[in-house]
Amino acid sequence: MPSPVSTAALRQRAPRLAEAAVERARLTVVPRARTRAARVPFVSLVTLLLLGGVVGLLLFNTSMQQSSFTATSLEQRAALLSAREESLGMQLENLRDPQVVARKAQQLGMRVPAAPLFLDLSDGSVEGDPVGARVVAPVLLDPRPAARPSLLDPPATVVRPAEGVLSDGRGDAAAAERGGRNGAEARAERRAEKRAEKRAEKKAEKLAEKKAEKKAQRKAEKLAEKKAERAKKNRDA
Amino acid sequence: MATSRYPRRGAPQVRLRIGFVLIAMVLSVFGGRLVQLQGLDPGSYAAMAAAEGSRDVVLPATRGDILDRNGEPLAESVDGVMVIADPALVNTDEAGNPVDRAPQLAKLLSTKLDVDYVTVLERLRRTDTRFQYMARAVPAAKAAHVLDRARARGFDGLTTQRDPIRVYPAGDVAANLVGFLGTPLGDGTPQPLAGFERTFDAQLSGTDGSARYSVAAGQKIPLGEQTVVEAVDGEDLTTTIDRELQWYVQRVLRQTVYGARADSGVAIVMDSRTGEVLSLADYPTYDANQPLESDEADLGSRAMSDVYEPGSVEKVLTLGALVDAGRVTPRTRLTVPASLARQDRSIGDWFDHGTIKLTLAGVLAKSSNIGTVLAADKFEGDELRDYLTAFGLGEATDVGVRGESAGIVPSGSLWTSQTQDRVAFGQSISVNALQMAAAINAVANGGVRVDPSVVRGTATTDSGQRVGTDTTTSRRVLSEEAARKTMLMMERVVDPDAGVAPRAQVPGYRVAGKTGTAQRASSECGCYDGTFTVSFAGFAPADDPRFTVYVVVQNPRNGGGGGSVAGPAFSKIMGYALRRYAVPPTSTKPSDLPVEW
Repeated sequence: MPSPVSTAALRQRAPRLAEAAVERARLTVVPRARTRAARVPFVSLVTLLLLGGVVGLLLFNTSMQQSSFTATSLEQRAALLSAREESLGMQLENLRDPQVVARKAQQLGMRVPAAPLFLDLSDGSVEGDPVGARVVAPVLLDPRPAARPSLLDPPATVVRPAEGVLSDGRGDAAAAERGGRNGAEARAERRAEKRAEKRAEKKAEKLAEKKAEKKAQRKAEKLAEKKAERAKKNRDA
Repeated sequence: MATSRYPRRGAPQVRLRIGFVLIAMVLSVFGGRLVQLQGLDPGSYAAMAAAEGSRDVVLPATRGDILDRNGEPLAESVDGVMVIADPALVNTDEAGNPVDRAPQLAKLLSTKLDVDYVTVLERLRRTDTRFQYMARAVPAAKAAHVLDRARARGFDGLTTQRDPIRVYPAGDVAANLVGFLGTPLGDGTPQPLAGFERTFDAQLSGTDGSARYSVAAGQKIPLGEQTVVEAVDGEDLTTTIDRELQWYVQRVLRQTVYGARADSGVAIVMDSRTGEVLSLADYPTYDANQPLESDEADLGSRAMSDVYEPGSVEKVLTLGALVDAGRVTPRTRLTVPASLARQDRSIGDWFDHGTIKLTLAGVLAKSSNIGTVLAADKFEGDELRDYLTAFGLGEATDVGVRGESAGIVPSGSLWTSQTQDRVAFGQSISVNALQMAAAINAVANGGVRVDPSVVRGTATTDSGQRVGTDTTTSRRVLSEEAARKTMLMMERVVDPDAGVAPRAQVPGYRVAGKTGTAQRASSECGCYDGTFTVSFAGFAPADDPRFTVYVVVQNPRNGGGGGSVAGPAFSKIMGYALRRYAVPPTSTKPSDLPVEW
C-alpha cells in the first residue's frame, strides 16, 4: 500500500503534465438558444383531442345505452317467443296424446288386431294366424260417467201423513227417480233392494199405505232392471 | 371606555368564544352522525345504498321432465304466470275518478282465461284489498296476450307473477306412478305430493339462480352493477314405461274391470329379459292434471301397495321348484282323489271330480289344488319356502314406487306342514302384483330372476335409496332345464282341450300362462269373505319369451274366474305388445305333454 505522502505528490504533478489539453477541453457556458414553438397547432390538437374524447365518449355511451335498450326489448321478445313456443309445444303434445290419436283412429274405423301378422317380402308368405289375428274389437276409450256422490242422494225422507190424510206416495216415487238417474246401476240395485226391504217392513205395519208403496217398489225395480240392461248393452257394444 | 366602544355586540373575545362553541356543537353533531353511519352499522347502509336503483330477480330453474322409455313426456313443465289484479287501480280512470270497470274486465278475463265470471267480478269489486288472484297457472304466452288486450282496452291494474305449470300430456297414463304436484307456493316453489314427482323431487327440481343489476327508468344500465348466478335446471327422469303400451293396457284393464263389475285391477307388462317394467297399470286411476277430482284412495299404485293371496298362479312356482329339485317331472303320474283330508281341514278342487289320474302337467293345466299338494309333499323341510324367497316373494321390490307392501311369506313357527299345503297352491301367502310378475318372469327368463325396474339408469329416492335399471341384480332360481319344463307345462293351460284358459291364447303365438282364482281375505272379519281375486300370468312367445304379462282383477261380481276374466285381457295386452315390438311368432310346435294317464 502506498503512503499518503507519495499519493499527494502525484496529484500535484498530474495536471501540470497535460495542461494545454486540459485547458482546451474545458466546457464553457453558452447562452440558451430560445426557439418559440408555434402555439396554435398544439392548442388546437389538445382541444381536438379533448373534444374528440368527450364527444366519442358521449357517442359510445349513447350507443351502449341504445344497445342496452335493444337488448332489453330483444330479451323480452325472446321470452315471449319461447313462451309461445312452449304453448305451441303443449298443443302439439295434446294432439299426440295416445287417447286423442286412438279416438281419431277409431273414428276412421281402425281397430287393434288380436295379434300381428308378418309378411315375408322374399317369398310373399304370411307368418302368424291370419284368421285369429283379424279378430278385432274397439277399445273402450272413455270411462263411465262418474258416480254421483252419495251426498246428492240422501236417504228418502218418508213423511207419514197424519191420521185421516191421504198419502199419494209422491215422496217415494221421487226418490226412486233420483236413484235411477245415477250412473252406477249396481248402486241403484242396492238402493232399490234396501228400499224394497224397508217397504216390506212398512207394509206389514201400515196396511193403509200398502197400495201406493207397492206401486213405487215396482217402479224402482223396473227402473233398476232397465238401467242394468242398458249398461249391459253399452258394454256389449 | 370599553363599554362605550362595544355598546351592543359585547367584547370580540366573548363573541369569538360563543361562535367557536356553536361551531363545535354543530361539528360534534356531524361527528356523531358520522360515527353512527360508519361505525355502528356500515354494512346495512351500504346495502341500502346499493339497493337504490338496483334490481334483484330470481332466475327460476326449470323442473325436469318425467319421460317414458322413448323420451315421450309423461310430465313436463311449462312457463306459467298468475294474473293478479289491483281492484283499486282497475276501478279508477286516468283522471283518478272512481269508475266501475269490474264487469267489463271480468267479462274479458272470463272469456279469455277460462275463469268464472262471478268469482272474478266479486274479487274485482273488493275495496279492502289491492291484491286479488284472477287466474293461476296460465301459460305465459296466453297471459301476455290477454294483458295486451286488456291494456289496449284501457284496463289498468293487471300484473303477472311467475307460477310454473306442470302438465301431464297423456292425462291418466301412468298417473299412479308419476304422481302430481300441488298448487305452487307464492314464489313458485312446486309442491310435489305423490308418485315419482315426490320420490325423485331432489333430482327433478333443480336450483333457482339469481341476477342483480342496476336499472334506470326500467332499463338496464349497461356499465352498472351486474351479477348473475345461473339457475341449475332439474334433471329429467326417464322411466322404463312405454307410454303407448301403458295407455292401451290401462284401457284394456278398465274395460276388463267394467266387464267383470270388479273393484279394481292391476296389469303389468315386463320385458322378460331385462325385467324392465314396460307398463304398470292400475284401475281405478286418476287424471294427473285434475288429481282432486278423484278419490284419494285411487292416487297411489295398488299394484305396489295392495297385497293379496295369489292363488293358483303360485302353483307355477311350486311345481317349477319341484322340477328344479328333481323330485318330479312334467310326466309324473298322480292319482288325484275327490278331496284330500289333511290335518286341520280337507282340501278340495275348484271343479267336482271323482278320483282322476293327472300328470303333473295336467295338475297345472287343470289347476288342481289336490294334485299340487300331493306333489308338494315331496319337498323336504323348508325347501318350498326357500324357493319362494328366491323367487322374490316376501321381499319388497324397491323399484322406487312409494308405499310398497312387501307381502308375507310365513316363516319360523308359522311354516307348518298345513301352511306348506296351502302355500303350495297360493293361499296363506300374500304378494304384491309386481313381486308376482317378477317371480313368473323368472320362469320366462330361463330360471333367472331379474329385479324389476321402473326407472332407466339410476335415480336416488327421497329416502336415499338408489334405484333403476343400473342397480338391478339377477340370480338363478331354477335351472334352465327346469324352467323349460315348467314353461311346457304352463303352455298346456291355454290349450283348448287340456287347459282351463283357452281365451288367453294369442293367435299364431305359443303362449305359456297360468290362471289364478283366489279367495280374498278380509281384514275386518279375519276370514275369507267370499269374494275373489282372479288373475292370469303368462309369457310369450313361450319358447323365446319377450314379455311377461300379469293381470289381476279384484272382486269380480260376474262370477268369472282367472281364465274368463283376466285371460282375455292378457291375450289383448300380449297381442298388442308383440305387435308394437314386432316380435314374430316362433313357428315351433307347441307343447303336447300328456295331462292324464
